[in-house]
Amino acid sequence: MRANIVKEIQSRFSDHYDDFFIEEELVEKTTIFLIGFNTLVDLAKSKLFVQQMADSSASVKALFKNLSDRINIDTEQLIQGILEGNLVIVSQDGKQNVVVDPIVKNLRSSISEPKNESPIQSSTDAFGDDINTNVGMIRKRLSTASLCHCSYQVGELEKRKISMLYIKGRTPKALIEKVNEQLKGINTDIETIDDLNLQFGKRRLSPVSHLSATELPIQAIHSLKENRIVLFLDNCPFALVFPNLIWDMLGGINDRNFPFILSFMLRFFRVIGLVATLILPALYVALVSVNPEVFKLDLALFVAKSREGIPLSAFLETIAMVVLVDLILEAIVRLPKSVGPAITMVGGIILGQAMVEAKLVSNLLVIVITAVVIASSAVIGMQNSLYIRLLKYPILILASLFGILGVCTGFIITIIYLASLTSNDVPYMTFRIKQEGETK
Amino acid sequence: MTQRIQIGAVFIIMHLSFGYVVYPNLIYRLTETAHWEIILCLGLLQLLLMWFYIKGLHYFPNNDVIDIHLKMGRWAAIVFLIPFVINLIALVSLNIRIHTEVIISIFLPRTPYWSILLLLFFVSVYTALKGLGTILRSSIFIFLFVIPLVLLNIFSSAINFNIHNVTPGLDLPPKFLLNMRFFYLLGFSSFLFLGFITSKTKLIFRHLFVAWVIVTLLLLLVVYIPLLVFGQETVITLTNPFLEAMDSIDISWFSFNRQAIFFGVLLVGLVILTNSVIFWMIGRVMQKVFAWDSSYWIIACSVIAFIIAIVVPNKYLLEKYFLWSSGAQAYFMISIPLTIFIYGFLSNRGVKVREK
Repeated sequence: MRANIVKEIQSRFSDHYDDFFIEEELVEKTTIFLIGFNTLVDLAKSKLFVQQMADSSASVKALFKNLSDRINIDTEQLIQGILEGNLVIVSQDGKQNVVVDPIVKNLRSSISEPKNESPIQSSTDAFGDDINTNVGMIRKRLSTASLCHCSYQVGELEKRKISMLYIKGRTPKALIEKVNEQLKGINTDIETIDDLNLQFGKRRLSPVSHLSATELPIQAIHSLKENRIVLFLDNCPFALVFPNLIWDMLGGINDRNFPFILSFMLRFFRVIGLVATLILPALYVALVSVNPEVFKLDLALFVAKSREGIPLSAFLETIAMVVLVDLILEAIVRLPKSVGPAITMVGGIILGQAMVEAKLVSNLLVIVITAVVIASSAVIGMQNSLYIRLLKYPILILASLFGILGVCTGFIITIIYLASLTSNDVPYMTFRIKQEGETK
Repeated sequence: MTQRIQIGAVFIIMHLSFGYVVYPNLIYRLTETAHWEIILCLGLLQLLLMWFYIKGLHYFPNNDVIDIHLKMGRWAAIVFLIPFVINLIALVSLNIRIHTEVIISIFLPRTPYWSILLLLFFVSVYTALKGLGTILRSSIFIFLFVIPLVLLNIFSSAINFNIHNVTPGLDLPPKFLLNMRFFYLLGFSSFLFLGFITSKTKLIFRHLFVAWVIVTLLLLLVVYIPLLVFGQETVITLTNPFLEAMDSIDISWFSFNRQAIFFGVLLVGLVILTNSVIFWMIGRVMQKVFAWDSSYWIIACSVIAFIIAIVVPNKYLLEKYFLWSSGAQAYFMISIPLTIFIYGFLSNRGVKVREK
């Protein structure tokens, strides 16, 4: 004879829930029902755990009290508890119930090395999928009472967990309140990082995100100390730093493991990489096709000679090569690790030799393109590298129309565009955020 | 602190933008020797007006020029500021056109000028629409991008210097003070924008004084580089003395044929930022005096300015109109600071009398 509450839960999970179980167990001469998903709960171990607890408890009521604080709640909450992967125990008469944290099946990978970043001379722990582990990793490394943690559950279809961390007394209060409101106001499903990004204001057509993702706890902690907010999304192995600043692309905390002059050098090279990615292809087009007269005669002749017999116009050959290289970069990511080198080899041969020997593109262009690919990878973070690769196209088009004037106007437009971006009134091009309460 | 550096950068960029093109020609026409006297006198006059202006603005904390004029009454704002805006529209269109002529002669001799005008207008209006914050932030980066080029120009031109071209270095008494052109020259100064940003930041005269020193030094160099290269007799016959001076440089180990290309790149950066500041000022005045969104005003005024810039037929008329416009600008540069100073002084005394 099963109690009503058990029947109700059972009817909810009757069809097509093959991993759903209801087990009967005899404790203290009364029957109890263990309910849950056997894909999420390790049933055998959990049973043993309940039995052991029962041995040390005087009655069913005492057992339930010992197991958890969530006793005697309504059916809806019980069902939510089951979906979250907890074990629900109901007594025989159905009057008492409890939601227990069970012994779970291990569905997560353990803390491992970062996959998207490669820190040199630093701790190699990276964030994992579990949100609590991630917050724990921060707390472990930043043991101060002023580290605050707010958690949210948002979404329509599923309730997804979001955590917000900040340091009290450092991060500006206005910023925290605004982000808090924005996170509370989410009423759509948050599936990707960009879904979360769109909650901080309209930037649908902008390549620059409000959030800067990092895998490294030390980088996240450094951002916290720099008066910023760190967000964690459940099942997402990244700390999302809000707001994203241009400096994130150029300097990380890992650089500072070296003496100042070396870290300055690293950052300076990244700035060169950024500028070179933006203007090098455009400068090639401008100097070859529109303004060849700016070179000294011998250099101008050299450039003209390298383009001898090439049928394509400078703009066409450049755009073809730039697109081809961006395709290769994308293809390498898609392929399994064992096939990836094949693309590298084929791409290298075709781009490096065949195209030049076939007189389809000039020697000089191949050098320029190689420099651009290397330069675009010098900045920190994959998303930053992607967006500067995108921004080079408008400058390239302007250069083909106006020559050097176009390169320089395009570069200035890019600067102005980036300067116009703000997230919650914090400009993208600021170098640091003012500490709360700090006087000017 | 950052904002003060940004304001300083805008201040320097605007002065350089006006200073590079027509300014040297006028100075060469004013005197034959001792050009530094004029630049210094102009600078001191400008410093005096700036002092009045900032003192006047300090009487009204958290108010900008438009707010102060609106306090005097709506009619005062219309009478004082609308002619100012009309002149700004003329100034912006002629300024872009003059720069376009120089840019065309450097980069693209075969391209029609309207296409470059369109490009420069588009970028300036886009920046102005994004607002003051964007202008100030991008000013720092444009400043960092422009200043190395300015220094390159100065140092690379040093190989052609002949010190005898600028002697004698003293000319007394200063007769140029009685010449009308001297006051035209005052119009090339552009400190009036300072009054438009005081609603959020308080200006400090000391910081601006540093910017003023840098501007005066740079203007001295702008005037003296062509002089040192060519001498007074040649320079007065040239249309763009600074450009010619840059073109005269030939450094054998340098891989570029023409130094003028760097001068052109520098001008583009300067002209875009300067014009976006002026467009923003226009939008600001119109928005506060007649309630309408400032972006509509900016677009409307930029269309008018674009048409003016396109219909000016030749360079002779262009320079003539530009001088009229800068003469009118000089009038506003004297009238607006003094009005604000006197009004501030009087109303401040009124408050004190009432308090007693």
